[in-house]
Amino acid sequence: MKRSRLIAATAVAASLALVATGCAATGGDEGSSDEPVTITFWGSYGNGGNSAQQDVLNDTLIPAFEAEHPNITVQYVDVPYDDLLQKLTTSAAGDELPDLVRADLGWVPKFADLGVLVPLSQAMPDFQELADATFPGVLSTNLWKGDYYGLPLDTNTRVLITSQAALDAAGLDAPPATFADLEKAAGTLEGTGISLFADGGLGAWNISPWIWSGGGAITDDDMTTASGYLDGAKTVATVQMLVDLYQAGQISTGITGNAGATSTAEGLPGNNYATIFDGPWMNGIWADQFPDFQPIYAPIPAGDGGSVSVVGGEDIVLTASSKHQEAAMEFIRFTQTEQFQMALVPTGQLTVIKDFGDEQVATVPYLKVFTDQLATAKARLAIPQGSEVDTILNEELVPAFEGTVTVKEALGNAAKRIDELLAEQ
Amino acid sequence: MTITTLGESLGTDAAGQVPVASVPPARQRRRSATRAGIVPYLFIAPGLALFALTVLYPTFQAFQLSFFDWKLVASASKFIGLDNYVRAFQDDHFWLSLSNSGIYMVLTVVPQIVIGLAIALLLARKSPTQPLFRVLFYLPVVTSWVVVSLLFRFLFSDDGLINFTLGDFLHLTDGSTPWLADRWTALLAICALGVWKGIGWSMMIFLAALQGVPTALLEAAEMDGANRWQRFRAVTVPAIWPALLFVTVMLVIGGFNVFVSVYLMTGGGPAGRTDVLLTYMYSQAFENLDFGYGSAIAVLLTIIVFVLSVVQLRVFRDRNGEGAL
Repeated sequence: MKRSRLIAATAVAASLALVATGCAATGGDEGSSDEPVTITFWGSYGNGGNSAQQDVLNDTLIPAFEAEHPNITVQYVDVPYDDLLQKLTTSAAGDELPDLVRADLGWVPKFADLGVLVPLSQAMPDFQELADATFPGVLSTNLWKGDYYGLPLDTNTRVLITSQAALDAAGLDAPPATFADLEKAAGTLEGTGISLFADGGLGAWNISPWIWSGGGAITDDDMTTASGYLDGAKTVATVQMLVDLYQAGQISTGITGNAGATSTAEGLPGNNYATIFDGPWMNGIWADQFPDFQPIYAPIPAGDGGSVSVVGGEDIVLTASSKHQEAAMEFIRFTQTEQFQMALVPTGQLTVIKDFGDEQVATVPYLKVFTDQLATAKARLAIPQGSEVDTILNEELVPAFEGTVTVKEALGNAAKRIDELLAEQ
Repeated sequence: MTITTLGESLGTDAAGQVPVASVPPARQRRRSATRAGIVPYLFIAPGLALFALTVLYPTFQAFQLSFFDWKLVASASKFIGLDNYVRAFQDDHFWLSLSNSGIYMVLTVVPQIVIGLAIALLLARKSPTQPLFRVLFYLPVVTSWVVVSLLFRFLFSDDGLINFTLGDFLHLTDGSTPWLADRWTALLAICALGVWKGIGWSMMIFLAALQGVPTALLEAAEMDGANRWQRFRAVTVPAIWPALLFVTVMLVIGGFNVFVSVYLMTGGGPAGRTDVLLTYMYSQAFENLDFGYGSAIAVLLTIIVFVLSVVQLRVFRDRNGEGAL
């Protein structure tokens, strides 16, 4: 008992030392690579009962990896997305995490902060090379206190989506390309019963594209303060434009949390809304539910800051409790290859590798706007309290939309509360 | 059989103590009494063990967590004493959630008792359609909370059936009330679901209790010239008093434990204004991973419910003049 503890302690100390000096993989684990190992990988590829992605992973990608690495077996465990965070949370508490996790990009700082993830930028000698190939916005979601704790696995972003019927009603030849175009369209739509825009809330996922495109920011680049940025003149002006449109009845009450408002997924095909911001998954949803609907994709309307959207997607992370870290890192490398990335594109996953963008568009043409948008898309605040930021934005901005406080006041309050979260880092 | 008579029949006194005999022949009796004293505990032991494992242990753990800045990984967690409780008392959103829980409790408990009792009185009389109506009223109770919450969300949506009925059909409103967009109207919709789903349960308890109302007393009161209301007040209510107490205590506890309907109908929105204590606790624990604060909220809720239950038992007992249970 004592001896095994001593061995375990020595092994932990040795691996920690290797990780700390950044040379864990310099020589690889070729010495022990003959021994067969099984690595476990948790993800939600089978989410929503649509097994297309899971099938590609299980039937094509994992067998291909195992063929190249005969000593490594990859056991993929599918966990529904809604349960995954809870399962990861309880597994982290019980020290029973798998080797690899396909984690929502908002969760990476949360788990990195808990010390349950391996900093890949220290553990993988080729990390920089792999990182440089990815889109910068999605890569940045892995950064926590100077180290990268994961690599992007798949990504998505929001673009403007409209329809020909909406464009006709708004008197537009093309989708609104600027804030000015939007405001003009709002005037034309008055009295038609069609709202100019709809969204499902005022969290960072929803409001960030507006703020960034308007030339504003949520915090400084180093994420030390929101005051002076979130309540800066450009952000105030952009949010004021939205508030004015809302009060004129041109933005649906769904944005202020009305759970009874027609959803964006139904409202756009139903011609209740002229424009929405949403991701590439909507194409499949509409194809199933509204087969006659032809969505038109366009970049986020540009303001003073250009057309800037928000990054979504998943990262792949390696857990500190993994006993087969070298084998797991080999699989991480495999996820960054053309074979892995391109196999998932037809199932609605956008590649995270910049160089595969053209090939992606050639395979699935409607992804062009999303691929272009990703070049400038930014990540939300990569801090463990990401969900609290969403709560703050909703709680402070809803009164501004309702007209009970000024936009400047609301953003000032939100900035102060976010400053408190940033101060905890 | 009451607890007291059960105790007596098993050879124990009302407090569960084994009577001590002072004469020698009692030795034999004492041994059997001791055995009889253990037997009931053996019977409840499996249930108690399960209760301890699935309820007491997690409750104790939650109580412990509430004194920590809990980080999932025990080594990273920090003992912070009563900080989580102090934070709750200074947190406006905690008070808003508590008041919403209280409002929900008041607005659902009273109608469930009044309407449940009224329906039970109507269905207590034998008629050919009585079983059908019993089933119909009880049906919502056994339906999944998730299903009916989503159903009510659609009913109260902007273009839902409620707006259609009030606007296009009855012409009472303009038919465009955004029910789930405002704290008060959204709470009303959530309460409507709570009442609709709960009436059948209280009706069933009252129906059972009404079977025990002495017919002789009712007939005697009638012969003495008591009208319906007087008979109900002087004979029926005292006879069903224990059931009334049981229903009230259970509904108050249930009212404070509302979660699924709020979570699915409004998600606590807009901007957290319809959050109740449990949805707030859930978002703190499972969205923000702040298990320490979430546990503190859960402990406070337990204390509130416990105090309320004790107060109710006292008040009802005093009104009844003796121990009702």
